[in-house]
Amino acid sequence: MSDTSPFDHRPDPELGRALEDALSASDDERFARQVMTAADSVFGAGASELWWQELTAWARPGLVAAMLLIAAGAFWMGTQMGQRGNGNGTSALGDPLSAADSEQLGVPVLLAGGEAPSVDAVMAVALEY
Amino acid sequence: MKDAELAALAQAGDRDAFGELVRRHAAQARRLARAILGDPDEADDAAQDGFLAALRHVGRYDPARPFGPWLQRIVANAASDRRRRRKVRRAEPVSPTMHDAAPGPDTITDRSRFRQVVLAALEKLPERQRIATVLFDVEGYSHKEISEVLGVPIGTVRSDVFHARRTLRTELDAWKDWRESE
Repeated sequence: MSDTSPFDHRPDPELGRALEDALSASDDERFARQVMTAADSVFGAGASELWWQELTAWARPGLVAAMLLIAAGAFWMGTQMGQRGNGNGTSALGDPLSAADSEQLGVPVLLAGGEAPSVDAVMAVALEY
Repeated sequence: MKDAELAALAQAGDRDAFGELVRRHAAQARRLARAILGDPDEADDAAQDGFLAALRHVGRYDPARPFGPWLQRIVANAASDRRRRRKVRRAEPVSPTMHDAAPGPDTITDRSRFRQVVLAALEKLPERQRIATVLFDVEGYSHKEISEVLGVPIGTVRSDVFHARRTLRTELDAWKDWRESE
């Protein structure tokens, strides 16, 4: 080979050329295409991982936001119902067991009546007790 | 664009950036894998494994350092793993018909014969010496870069290059002498 000493700290051009010629393949482009085809699965997996990471990253603040919305909605509804309750809220719902009615439909009232009470009146008194 | 910039883009999912890195380093990676494994097809498989492993772990690459040695270390590991597995598989002796199938000296060109001699000489070297001399004399890596690829001290790399060169020169000089005497 060349006269370069084995101790030489510079590359040996002749030995380098011989090794390069023996080891080199001519179709680097084909090889690169082959690698990229295989790499597509890695990129695909990476994309789905990113999608999942994005979703999980948004999950916690999303849950907090949803809970805040629900709380705000519940508070608003409560406020609205409270305003109605100040007027005639429950009677508006037509509750047959309202306190005012049940006072009128007590057992003594039923017994004192001259006529037989209706089934609704008996049921109302029974549920009251 | 620099390798480090391409690596950052590849990490962000840029396929073209990774493709450019593959094109830039394909020849080196294939040569190194072939120096370790000998068989060109198996070497290509190992080089491909190396590129894919590099893509999966590109986040671990330090952009302050050169990309080549980092990649070559991964490729060398992939090729070495294959070589170890091959040794386990090849417990039984190689069939003599394989030698018979090889073309005789009179049917192959002088250049391809020389290539075979070089590859046979490389095959005689320990794996680390093979990697060291290919990276030093073919790829132009510094002793420091090779020490990073191999994970050994610089002094060990110098020694490996020295012993590899001495063996290779002896083998190749012997072949030249034989050629001239014909």
